[in-house]
Amino acid sequence: MKLRYAIIQAVHGLKSNRSRSALTILGIVIGITAIMMVMAIGAGAQELILSQIQGWGSRTISIEPGREPQGPSDFAEMYTDSLTEKDIRALSKLANVQDLKDMTPVVTVAASVNYKNESVRTTVWGSSDLLTDILDIRPAEGAMFTDEDVRQRASVAVLGAEIKNKLFNGQNAIGEKIKVKNQSLRVIGVMGKKGRVSLVNVDDIIFIPYTTAQEYLLGINYYHSIIAQAVTDESVERVARDVELTLRETHGIADPSKDDFHVTTQADAIERVGVITGVLTLLLGAVAAISLVVGGIGIMNIMLVAVAERTREIGLRKAVGARDRDILIQFLCEAVMLTGIGGIVGIAFGAFLSWSASFLLSRFATMQWAFVFPIDAALLGLGVSALIGLVFGLYPAKKAAGKSPIEALRYE
Amino acid sequence: MALMEIENITKVYESDGVETHALCGVSFAIDKGEFVAIMGPSGSGKSTLLHVLGFLDRHTDGVYRFENKTMDEYSSDEIALVRNEKMGFIFQAFNLLARVSVYENVTLPLLYSRISKKEWHNRVEHAIDAVGLSHRSQFHTSKLSGGEKQRVAIARALVLDPEVIFADEPTGNLDSVSGKAVMTILDEVNRKQGTTIILITHETVTAAFAHRVITMKDGHVEHDRRVGKDGEKREYKK
Repeated sequence: MKLRYAIIQAVHGLKSNRSRSALTILGIVIGITAIMMVMAIGAGAQELILSQIQGWGSRTISIEPGREPQGPSDFAEMYTDSLTEKDIRALSKLANVQDLKDMTPVVTVAASVNYKNESVRTTVWGSSDLLTDILDIRPAEGAMFTDEDVRQRASVAVLGAEIKNKLFNGQNAIGEKIKVKNQSLRVIGVMGKKGRVSLVNVDDIIFIPYTTAQEYLLGINYYHSIIAQAVTDESVERVARDVELTLRETHGIADPSKDDFHVTTQADAIERVGVITGVLTLLLGAVAAISLVVGGIGIMNIMLVAVAERTREIGLRKAVGARDRDILIQFLCEAVMLTGIGGIVGIAFGAFLSWSASFLLSRFATMQWAFVFPIDAALLGLGVSALIGLVFGLYPAKKAAGKSPIEALRYE
Repeated sequence: MALMEIENITKVYESDGVETHALCGVSFAIDKGEFVAIMGPSGSGKSTLLHVLGFLDRHTDGVYRFENKTMDEYSSDEIALVRNEKMGFIFQAFNLLARVSVYENVTLPLLYSRISKKEWHNRVEHAIDAVGLSHRSQFHTSKLSGGEKQRVAIARALVLDPEVIFADEPTGNLDSVSGKAVMTILDEVNRKQGTTIILITHETVTAAFAHRVITMKDGHVEHDRRVGKDGEKREYKK
């Protein structure tokens, strides 16, 4: 029998039991939908994170205390006190690091900010005046604090646009006093609206001199990080290397594996994000794959029932001249068609759901979440579902093909 | 030359360690163009005999030659081909495909045949016409009467012009009028096309269409006699 006729016979077989066929493929539909969503959302998340990281600017280099995290246990070491003023002095020397444009220490404090009766929880960033250049933001009102303010540990603050609105309700803020951790700070500037830079909502931050933050808010003499900027894109790698060598020297470290700091360029960060989202996608994909196996077993189960129910039909087909392999191919076709249809429906569902998710996220969470239709996932899903039909359909089809015509015809 | 010839055929079924001897050494030959009725009480082995002759079942011992080739000489694909091209089957329970039309039921053997698709339509129409069901061609078989269903089964058996038609109690589920109509068609096929017909029945009315009656009892042939021309047939019918 030609394959075309086998397919037509299979369509008849499936049509004659529509509701059962539909329920049978549900398992495959759910599995493929899940895989599609995981892969589409994974791809979308990766795009989002990458676009955010790139928001920093490709010339930005960040230096953080502690070893580069190799596993969850290393995160405890991230907040050590290894970065200090000594490092800034060493890095500032042209002999140590060439092509370094700007650099600022950063300390961060999560705190409540009070103005009269208003209170807002936010993040206070302590930095030098150069942060405005690195982040590319400018005060819309007033001015940024100066180098002098930093040296004097001046109790001044520049507010992000949103913070200003929350605390002052549109009233004038310049010259007013706000309180952070019982420390009174005079508002000298309000930043223009900027939005998010690398996952951080810059409008929701209060900027103060890092010396002030260290002395009055935290009581520490080290930095949480140092943000530096290379002169050109080409010099990023060299600057990063020079920074590493300089810090090792200042910290007296001979063995690079014993580093108490790590330097991250944008390229590193992008690579790391790729690895993380890749692992996550794989993990979730594996979970979704389990549902495919379950769906496949469902297919096998139903096919076995169908073979038993249609024993007479199989006997008749053999009596009128069907060979064993004609019967085998017919039932295999039915199984592959079931799973194939399940795959197509699953791909459509998955694409629709992940599109909806990206739509809702960008609409209501104001994230720049792009919908990415994962063509590779769609092809993979289709291939996998057809394969499941073949694998799980083989046993029932073999059972059908092996029936003796007379046993089959006698079957009641 | 005999179309089919059996020598000392036995068939033993075994279930739960108990052996049942359905056929205990049956021998005869059937020539091309014969119309043979196999009769006998239930359990006499007549159905088993028909299944063995129709390549639906394998005998335990003895020799069965179909067109001068023993059954062992046929591969399983060749057996399927013989069933497809040289044999037609009609069953008491009709065994039609449900939920498809008369036309599609009659097409079924063609799906497995070597006939090119261009010829299918003519053959199917011709077979349906031969059993007088042209007006029902597009009907679903579930909408037909018993007699009509059996005529569809005959059309399906005829569509590839077989050498032999095996009919297992073809009138068993039919009223006498429908039964007679079915038998008349088989008789015509036998007379006009020279198709060999082997039918199982326990109705003497039905057996009266045959030229030869083989009576089975306890797995043996009890009688094997020719019943000659029309006059004698009537006499046989009583």
